[in-house]
Amino acid sequence: MKRKLNYVNYLVLLVASAFFIFPIIAAAEFSLRANGATTHNFSNFQWAIQQDGFKTNLGVSFRLAILTAVAVLVLMVPTIVYLHLGGARWKRLIEFICLVPLVVPVISFALGVATAFPVFLQSTVYELSFLYVIISMPYTYRALDVGLSSIPLLTLVEASRASGASMRQTLLFVIVPTIRSAVNGAIFLAVALSLGEFTLAVILHWDTFPTWIANISQGHILAAIALSVLSLVGAWLVVLVFAILPKSFRTNKTQEAAA
Amino acid sequence: MTTENRVSVQLKGLRKVYGDAVALENFNLELAPGELVALLGPSGCGKTTALRILAGLDTDHQGQIIINGKDIAGVPANKRNMGMVFQAYSLFPTMTVIENVGYGLRVRKVDREKRRARAQELLELVGLGSMGNRLAHQLSGGQQQRVALARALAIQPNVLLLDEPLSALDAQVRTQLRDEIKRIQVEVGTTTLFVTHDQEEAMAIADRVGVMRHGVLEQCAPPQEVYLNPSNVKVAKFVGAMNLLPAEIVSATELKVFGHTIALRASEAGAPTGKTGMALIRPEQLSLKLTEGRGPATATVATRTFLGPLTRIAVRMIADNSVLYVSMPSSQALQFVEGSTVEIEIHAKSVLLDA
Amino acid sequence: MSQVVATRTGTRKGAGPRPYKSRVGSLKSLLPLLPFLAFVGYFLVFPLVFIVRDAFLGNDGKFTLDNFVECFKGVYGHSFYVSIRLSMISALIGAVAGSLIAGAIVKTGSRTRKAIAATASVLANTGGVPLAFMFMAAFGTEGLVTKSLKALGWNLYAGSFTMFSATGIILVYCFFQIPLMVLIYSPALENVKPELREANDSLGGTRFSYFTRIAVPLLFPAFLSTSLLLFANSFSAYATARAMTAGTLPLMPLLIGNLVDGNVVANQEHLGHAMAVSMIGVSIIVMGIYLAVLRFSKVRS
Repeated sequence: MKRKLNYVNYLVLLVASAFFIFPIIAAAEFSLRANGATTHNFSNFQWAIQQDGFKTNLGVSFRLAILTAVAVLVLMVPTIVYLHLGGARWKRLIEFICLVPLVVPVISFALGVATAFPVFLQSTVYELSFLYVIISMPYTYRALDVGLSSIPLLTLVEASRASGASMRQTLLFVIVPTIRSAVNGAIFLAVALSLGEFTLAVILHWDTFPTWIANISQGHILAAIALSVLSLVGAWLVVLVFAILPKSFRTNKTQEAAA
Repeated sequence: MTTENRVSVQLKGLRKVYGDAVALENFNLELAPGELVALLGPSGCGKTTALRILAGLDTDHQGQIIINGKDIAGVPANKRNMGMVFQAYSLFPTMTVIENVGYGLRVRKVDREKRRARAQELLELVGLGSMGNRLAHQLSGGQQQRVALARALAIQPNVLLLDEPLSALDAQVRTQLRDEIKRIQVEVGTTTLFVTHDQEEAMAIADRVGVMRHGVLEQCAPPQEVYLNPSNVKVAKFVGAMNLLPAEIVSATELKVFGHTIALRASEAGAPTGKTGMALIRPEQLSLKLTEGRGPATATVATRTFLGPLTRIAVRMIADNSVLYVSMPSSQALQFVEGSTVEIEIHAKSVLLDA
Repeated sequence: MSQVVATRTGTRKGAGPRPYKSRVGSLKSLLPLLPFLAFVGYFLVFPLVFIVRDAFLGNDGKFTLDNFVECFKGVYGHSFYVSIRLSMISALIGAVAGSLIAGAIVKTGSRTRKAIAATASVLANTGGVPLAFMFMAAFGTEGLVTKSLKALGWNLYAGSFTMFSATGIILVYCFFQIPLMVLIYSPALENVKPELREANDSLGGTRFSYFTRIAVPLLFPAFLSTSLLLFANSFSAYATARAMTAGTLPLMPLLIGNLVDGNVVANQEHLGHAMAVSMIGVSIIVMGIYLAVLRFSKVRS
């Protein structure tokens, strides 16, 4: 529906843009301050990046992000594929389970994890990844479910099996490539969540990039602001990458629907 | 490029139920090596079920599936080495045409060079040699089904399975492609099972036609046989057009229609009981003669439908207002103008009776 | 000859084969789901079970309801009120502002819409320290916006306003609440076909009648359900609140965080658990309303 915007619309968009842009600009300005606000340069950024904590913690968060993304795919894709094939009777149950993380506030979940897990499982930071998989489930489930619903899954699987492929080969060669954009969406969600997640990391006393920024802010507020600006820009870049990447393959189903 | 492994197929005692409904009941079918058998029937008759059981896509059934003497009922679908073409477009959307065709070889770990060569060979066979690098959605429906056929044949399957491959296509493309399929099947020589609800299709290409209704295989015979000598009333009514003429039963082997005696063909239902019934006579087994008089076989010409070489004339019986269809060469039909009075003559030697 | 009932099988013209329906014992069909269920069982159910169990444990390890009693007293009980009130206001503002913005966006071209959707998803995910600092930089006492407004004659801090209050938090939360509303509510808006407007006009209706009689009733379920989502989002938010107030505001997540960090009243080891379970309880109620509204709207449309 493409209608003309009236002046109320323009006003709303103007105010909204201002509301969102000002804090970003303000933060950017602060981050560039040096020498007690007399000059502006990138010294805060340089300082922040040169900290040991920067590399180590960013590395941790990156690794968490990758592990989360992989875990999401390995866990969710076969499961949801199965739900669309023979396991349809269990779909509602699994859907319900995937919605539970929406109902449980992260802080409650974090406390639960802190209490529940035996000590030995809390010895690695990578436990966070699996927890991130859980809290991303409502979104990744939906993304993958929608993606699988939009392709002629059964026909493709049967064609693949009739050609002699095992289920594993079918998943790898046929299904995942065909739902490329949904998979990208799920990966994006997993990565974005992992890189920015704070609550679980801090309650469980792990050092990740977001918690490190919080720590830095105690003593070096300008550097913390610089890092905040960096993370916002970084998030933008990730979104742009994912917006440009996915090629949606027009299957016959969508073609017939369009025709 | 003929196949080296022409196999014989035997489906023995297949039975399949969905809840309370029986999809297949004591289904027995044999395919000789290199033969093309068409399973013909309306929606829900079980023809696709039988095909899918043979393919291994449906494993919850009773009965045996015997290939070259060995029962393969326990073998999973991807190990049966059968090529299948589906009704819905089934090409993998993210792969090029040539990658699609080579898929079966890829999962069998054949190396890239050999795969491409073989795939190209098959694309030539189906007449799409230059389309290798296109994507599925860039092809027309008919072309896609050809690629699907090439893909199915690339692995040199024991059996070729075609599940209503032409149903989703335009009429013109359908006729063209159906002849192509026959040509290729004869050339390659793979034992083939072809499922369809289109009679013309089945008759045109099959070595034998298996007519199915409600999960039962009524008759399986060469097309002429099925048409001219249907084994029972159900088959007779389903295949081709049929007229129903009131008949008087004279004896176990004779009846009278319009006063003429005709032989009664024994059907599988057994000898008729009762005094009257409906004789089944094909439109081309009737002819017309202009007449002045009145009799039990008199009718008026209602409509003429010109079908090219043949014309089908609908006549309304004066006796009971029922409508019969008569086909004849178009040149002969010219004299029977709408409204004229005609007499019906029967040229059938023997007929089936619908009691 | 067998008795045969018309079956549900067979081919439908133009369609593919039907999905499998496993008849071999329904439990066997659960098998492929075991990895998923095991994972969820361990990483989700396990913590939840523990937190519920511990909420009912006293310091002596025996079953008690004392934790919950404490929950509703003093600063903890007050936090219920503060959290819920703050979340409601935040949801309301976010919903209204978001729907206005979505209404404007829906009229733009599809490329702009995609760009805005991408931006909105980044903004909706912003939180914690980065967000807090952005707002301090803008609206803090030395903030850019504060200074600009002062130059224009409006002193933000003339009254009792401070960024470290509930009001400040509500302001900051808007930064992710509004984009979230835009993201989730836009599809509902896009479903309002222009034909409805045309039908209204052709029948002699006014803009007012269109809004009150047609648009609002149609959109109300989606609006309400998304608002509930915003409520839950604000209610559970921790990182941003903590970054802004260092845990001094009586918000439920913050209090739980404090209890975990050990800034706690002695003798109440499991108070935090009770608080956490209470939060889950509130969330469940909200989600319950959300699902009821969703079902209601599906029945109607």
